[in-house]
Amino acid sequence: MSLAIAGMGWVTPLGNGVDAVWERLLRGDEATATPISEQFADRSYSAFRIPESAVTGLAHPRLRRASVISRFAATAGLEALEAAGVKVDSQNAGRIALIFAISNGGVIYTKRFYRDVVETGAQSASPLLFPETVFNAPASHLAAILGVTGTTYTVVGDGAVGLLAIKMAEDVMMDKSLDYCLVVGTEEIDWLLCDAYRRWRLLRSAPPIEPFGKQRRGMILSEGAGAIVLGREGPITIERVHLGGCYGKRAEAEEILKRIVCDLSQVEVDFVISSANGTFIDQAEQGALEQVIPDAVTYAAKPALGESVGASGLWQVILGAQALRHGELPPVLHADSAISLRLARSRMTVAGARRAIILNSGVNQQVAGLRLALR
Amino acid sequence: MAQLSSTTGEKKPARVAVVAAGVVSPLGFGLTETLNSLRRAKDCVTAVTRFSVAECRCKTAGQIPDDRLLAGPNKKPRAKRLHRASHMMIQALREVVMQLPQFEPELTIIGTTSGGMSYGEQYYRSLCRSGNLRHAPTWIANYPAQKPVIDAQEEVLGVSVPCQVIANACASGTNAIGHAFECVRSGRYQRVLTGGYDALSELVFTGFDSLQASTPEKCRPFDRHRAGMVLGEGAAILALENLELARKRGALVLAEIVGYGISTDNFHITQPDPSGVGPRQAMERALQSAEISADQVDYINAHGTATIFNDAAEGKAISQLFNGVPVSSTKSMMGHSLGAAGAIEAVISLLALRHQFLPPNINFDALDDRLDLNVVANESRPAVVRMAISNSFGFGGTNASILIRRVEA
Repeated sequence: MSLAIAGMGWVTPLGNGVDAVWERLLRGDEATATPISEQFADRSYSAFRIPESAVTGLAHPRLRRASVISRFAATAGLEALEAAGVKVDSQNAGRIALIFAISNGGVIYTKRFYRDVVETGAQSASPLLFPETVFNAPASHLAAILGVTGTTYTVVGDGAVGLLAIKMAEDVMMDKSLDYCLVVGTEEIDWLLCDAYRRWRLLRSAPPIEPFGKQRRGMILSEGAGAIVLGREGPITIERVHLGGCYGKRAEAEEILKRIVCDLSQVEVDFVISSANGTFIDQAEQGALEQVIPDAVTYAAKPALGESVGASGLWQVILGAQALRHGELPPVLHADSAISLRLARSRMTVAGARRAIILNSGVNQQVAGLRLALR
Repeated sequence: MAQLSSTTGEKKPARVAVVAAGVVSPLGFGLTETLNSLRRAKDCVTAVTRFSVAECRCKTAGQIPDDRLLAGPNKKPRAKRLHRASHMMIQALREVVMQLPQFEPELTIIGTTSGGMSYGEQYYRSLCRSGNLRHAPTWIANYPAQKPVIDAQEEVLGVSVPCQVIANACASGTNAIGHAFECVRSGRYQRVLTGGYDALSELVFTGFDSLQASTPEKCRPFDRHRAGMVLGEGAAILALENLELARKRGALVLAEIVGYGISTDNFHITQPDPSGVGPRQAMERALQSAEISADQVDYINAHGTATIFNDAAEGKAISQLFNGVPVSSTKSMMGHSLGAAGAIEAVISLLALRHQFLPPNINFDALDDRLDLNVVANESRPAVVRMAISNSFGFGGTNASILIRRVEA
């Protein structure tokens, strides 16, 4: 069973809206990093953030106290539904499923809630903040805004979670009574998250992200959301999803990625959207691609958009769909000229392209892939 | 392996067997200890020892003793770094593999709410106090929600299985089992591991306390004097397999999952719709999915948190759908283990089916007079149990129910 992408929505540090972000990527634009600091620490970090003003248009009461992660999700989800021409009402609310992909979740409110507990004691813990710390808070807000009454899942994982959520959508849509499944990946940034990734030696202090670099200098975190509406009809299909597996060491990641790429390249593939983010996963993806489909054109968006973890899989699927639809790939930024992969180093025509592989490698043991096809 | 119907050519849904189960909870380690605690109506809720609760209203929880949990056979340094939740998952999966050494899942679907939250707390506290951050990489690496699942697979199965972790608040465990059931029933998968886990953490404990959802008293589900929940922790895993394939290879079938219902009520982020519409829809959809009527259900393992709002809404929904079917909330004995609850309670329902008894709802004095329920009060009792329904409801208005059927040997 192949599901089709009926609509897409995108909230990124490069702007909101699928077409607007796509245009900026084609132009070779890169998100602007802003410093992020914390009262109890001297160190500050750089992150690709979204100004709160970019998502203040939504006035639903459920979002009044919600963290930005929920606003990003709602903005992207509503854009995707509108693009799909789906208006949710009481007649069809039960025929739409909602699946969220999240990695770090509502870290801003979680920190704020726990800070109160640590600094002033349990009696200062806020009953208003606590519900927003729960992983499924963004999904529940969007379900309430839309009036969805049936299946709602929040899937958590690392950077691969977006594709795992799409696979779940495919399984959920085996239920013929469902017309659509809205899949949303969303993430927000806090200083705490940057510090954690830095201590894990995966974050660099300032841009750029250098994809496939030998030095593995690290990533820059970003925030936002991506949403796709999956339906039974549409010009671009999710032709095959490969759940991959879980790795312990980098070499195992490469082995699993090889299996994924082998499986997904059984038919002719025109280009690959890589999840290269300047960390060890780049070598794993490069190794797998070079061994299985060395001639494939590869694009990596994270140097331009940052590593949005839970949202990244959806972003990559949107990129793949846009590239198939428009027959063009944006330029890969900050890639060393010595890299042996066939990268889209400048804006590149892929006219007539029919299929694309999306590789999604997380830094915490999960990898997955999928293949998009233009009908 | 869904079969083609001979008349319509449409795929007939596959039947879904539970072929092994493992559990660790305050009720005990493994199925046998759990069964004994249920039969004896043992109150396994104790004073919280893991962190200070001096400023909380609630002082108790269902807890798993570390001296047993961490005393497993693995003495490798890596094992010491793992989160308690990983140890719980390892214990539960070991029990599954002891029953079924050859089980090779295609997919693992697990529910949780908070992953390795206590490691996040340690990291934050150390940062604030400019304390020792030498262990920070360990805390950070073992914090993510998928980590205990991957650890258990690596440690016990020794293979890499793709995993999907569902975080639908307190419904997570039942959602995970329900989705796994749908995956096998559709014929897309033959063998899936499923279940749930959660370990106690200060942040979550304080959170429920701040909502005044937890009680300083005993947990008394459906009681007139109920005052709230107590938290718990644990893990449970079920091995699901296409029933036909399981029988072909001569596997022992512990039970059959026959139905799953999910609903979202959108009323409030922490409170259920007082009309009970969410729980009712979840149970109705489970019955429809199983193609059975409510009078075929012999036992209801309720979500039954003992909060005023949950029990009122769930009790209303149960009495609207079922006529005098015995109900108990086993959270009264072990606390509410959040993402693990649905999985542990599925195992409890399975034990009720296999051993033909009704697990008790302890600390029960008198039924809330606004409810019309047949509560299994204070003691377990023998009964003919052919079909059980297990409910889990969570923040965000997410509701899930699964139906489990006894399988004759």
